[in-house]
Amino acid sequence: MNESELTGLAAMRDCWITGGAAFDLAPAAWKAIAGNANPDERERRLLAIAAQAIEIALRPAAPKTLKQRPPLPKLALPMLPEQLRPLLRAALKHAADARYKTRVATLVASRGFVLHPMDWMPAASYRESPDVYAPWVDWQAGVDGEKQSSREQLTAETWDDFYPAARRIALADLRRTAPALARQLIEAKGSSEAAEIRSALIELMGVGLSADDAPFLKGLFADRSGKVRELAGRLLARLGEQGNPRDGGLEDATAELAAFISEGNSGFFRRRTTYAPAKLKSPSQESRRIDLFATCYLGDLAARFGVTESDFVGAWQFGFDDKADLFFVRMVSVSGGEAAVAHLADTLVAEGGKPALLVLHLMARLDSGRKRALIRQILKDTVDLHALIQVEGVEAGWLEWGDLTNGQTLPALRSAVAGNDEPLKRSVDQILETLGLLATAATAEKLIGDVVAAGMAPAAPSLGLLRLNASLA
Amino acid sequence: MDFDLKTIEALAPDQASLSAASRLTRQSNWPRLEKNEQLALIWGECQGSGSNPYRVVVDTGDHGYKCTCPSRKFPCKHTLALMWIAATTPASFAAAGATPEWVNDWLGRRRKTASPPLETTPVAGSKSISEAAQDDERVVVEDAASVERRETAQRKRADDTRSSVSAALDELDQWIADQLRLGLAGFVDNSSDRCRRIAARLVDMKATALAGRIDEIPSRLMAVRNEERPDMAIRELGQLVLLAKAWRSAPDDPELKRLVSTSESREQVLANPDATQIESVWEVLGEKIESRRDGLVSHSTWLLDLKSATPQFALLLDFFPASAGRRSNAFKSGARFEARLVFYPARQPLRALLADRKGDIASGDWPDFSFGVSDPLADHGARQDTAPWITDSPVMLPPGAVLLDDRGASWWQAAGDPHGIALPIAGTINATLLGLNLSATAALWNGSRLDLLAAQSGFGRLDLS
Repeated sequence: MNESELTGLAAMRDCWITGGAAFDLAPAAWKAIAGNANPDERERRLLAIAAQAIEIALRPAAPKTLKQRPPLPKLALPMLPEQLRPLLRAALKHAADARYKTRVATLVASRGFVLHPMDWMPAASYRESPDVYAPWVDWQAGVDGEKQSSREQLTAETWDDFYPAARRIALADLRRTAPALARQLIEAKGSSEAAEIRSALIELMGVGLSADDAPFLKGLFADRSGKVRELAGRLLARLGEQGNPRDGGLEDATAELAAFISEGNSGFFRRRTTYAPAKLKSPSQESRRIDLFATCYLGDLAARFGVTESDFVGAWQFGFDDKADLFFVRMVSVSGGEAAVAHLADTLVAEGGKPALLVLHLMARLDSGRKRALIRQILKDTVDLHALIQVEGVEAGWLEWGDLTNGQTLPALRSAVAGNDEPLKRSVDQILETLGLLATAATAEKLIGDVVAAGMAPAAPSLGLLRLNASLA
Repeated sequence: MDFDLKTIEALAPDQASLSAASRLTRQSNWPRLEKNEQLALIWGECQGSGSNPYRVVVDTGDHGYKCTCPSRKFPCKHTLALMWIAATTPASFAAAGATPEWVNDWLGRRRKTASPPLETTPVAGSKSISEAAQDDERVVVEDAASVERRETAQRKRADDTRSSVSAALDELDQWIADQLRLGLAGFVDNSSDRCRRIAARLVDMKATALAGRIDEIPSRLMAVRNEERPDMAIRELGQLVLLAKAWRSAPDDPELKRLVSTSESREQVLANPDATQIESVWEVLGEKIESRRDGLVSHSTWLLDLKSATPQFALLLDFFPASAGRRSNAFKSGARFEARLVFYPARQPLRALLADRKGDIASGDWPDFSFGVSDPLADHGARQDTAPWITDSPVMLPPGAVLLDDRGASWWQAAGDPHGIALPIAGTINATLLGLNLSATAALWNGSRLDLLAAQSGFGRLDLS
């Protein structure tokens, strides 16, 4: 279209918007086509020409500010084979929330594949995604600039080349392999970061924590962020070190908590010392004790009674007050030393039944071997299979068929599948989904056969993850 | 497989269904027949009267079934035909190790009844499978006089329809002139009522297809930003003017008849010697299932010819009443199959029928189309030259990417040309798409927005429909 046609079209358009005859405004060439028909027909002919002009000659005006995102990085693992994507999509469709969808990604990553980005993307805020997805987490976070997640070694020089998620994973790796180097990096770079990022970095000190870290952690008592100071205190407590010397209130709180705990004796000769939650007189006292468990450190409390952390944990009498037991376990989880945590986990798992479920609150501190032991115990006891769903951060694809046949798990699942109790069936769906993550491919296949034989539809959505697992053999 | 003809007779809702099922038992109607004996399932795809095949699955254990056709009879003739084939020629079913996704979907949704399958105790004389089989073989012989009478009546009906449609187009012309006189601002604001009224008149006067198109104008206007609506209104009304003029000059033109009054039947298209036929390997680009204002649901399946050196498309289009309920997809996006398509005669043939479907083909990359022309909408322009009434045009876009503007709206832009042409994308997109370089993108261009169907990228094929 030439300039006069464009001008004419704009004028006709304005005229038609408000209403009226646009013939006089039309470009000369268009007027000639519209000819000498009656006025209505002339307008219709011009309308047809204008319609074609808009359709063919004009294009939507592209804004000058179009923004392009950096290309989505390729990941270190190959993409899940195309033929397995329908099974994957079925499993993802059934997964209720981000946590369950992440489990699907964890299972697939454990078999050496990553998901197609149009099937699943890790949320920028969700930290539980398998490490291999770190470049996508950073891409999602939309960190500006052209830089890519570097695969170089993380050093003070390359610090800024890493996006936060990739840096977090690199630091965690470094803490496992060269903890002193990682500590020096956190020390050198952390101080210039915002409090939230600083506290996330300090949290990484929990990986491979050792006495060598104590001086640095003590130095953090001068940090301007209360959250960082509290975190440093807990990490030091895990090392058996005293808390913040300037925090005199903690000593008083430990004394107050000790007063809520009864010391007793047991055994044939009553030589074994025991500790149990004292009977309290009012709900406000109970509430106060809960607050104190959340504030105090296990090491301080054990020292108050003149015993080691492990001795104190071993002497704790479970079963007198469920709430106190729960908050005691949580205290051990956040401030107990490695030995005390391991001792408590082993004791509870060995006891089995309901107490074993308290180990779920120690998950963040347990190694994979203890997590597996807990799961095996839950399956063996079959007291509360639903507890399986709460197991966090556990590895995928290791549960053998023998682990399922060791207790009453299979009969319980079969009976629930065959029965008419709808809430129970929904619970079984969730358990099967969790087992879909934990099972080996062979176990997954056998389990599908077992529950289908018990009456579950072969294509039931709750078998989605198990089916995907079995196909990833 | 546990079927006998007595069971089918008992399950059939009426004699008519049995007779219709009998006519569908020919193997040629069923490009796919499969079974999984372990799961007690048989399934198949039946090429019915629609463009898209109907998918039928039957549980041979409890006689549960599902068909994607819009019939309100349960079981429908397709289901009965599938059972009938299972009962009479079970060898027709190929053993399949895995069940297709659509069968899994059904299995996942259905509630298995605890009750045993229906007992086969039909009411004597109410339905008869042998009678249905005979119906199929019966040949109606007409005498010459009745043929003459029928043809005369047909001609008269066609003349009446033509007169009626001509009058309808006169009314439409006047209505368009009125909209211009009253102002397009008012038309845009009241398009729903105004379009409904003229559409109702056109239906009364047998311009049914045109009425359906006008009924959709309000939703097309609403799909664009306020400031774009006057241009959209000019385009829509201008195209109606062109279509009406074209029909007046050639009222018997099959394409124009289809766009203004009614479409040919499947049989008429298949029997038309002038209809273009293409035998090729086709990939399902995507499906669009949209509810229309006239109470119909349109089901479009877009196909790409993988043997063509330049991008060639085909559209399988069906309409069914919205009251028939949600319709499952007929194809899986990305599926490939070898088939012969017969195209509805048109200046730019796009709409087609699946005449003969052969085997499925493994998926892979698209052919390396040469994107020589700098204008990505050149094909759309060429189509408009010969058929300026086309609304949605399939296009294959060259390498590019999806970008965002300040308002958060997404645009497709050609690679390596940051100041070049950019095309706005309809609706919202999956944010992941913003990080993918697209080596080719199949989309529908409606004159103002791109509706993405599928793309090829460094991460393989992307299903965007």
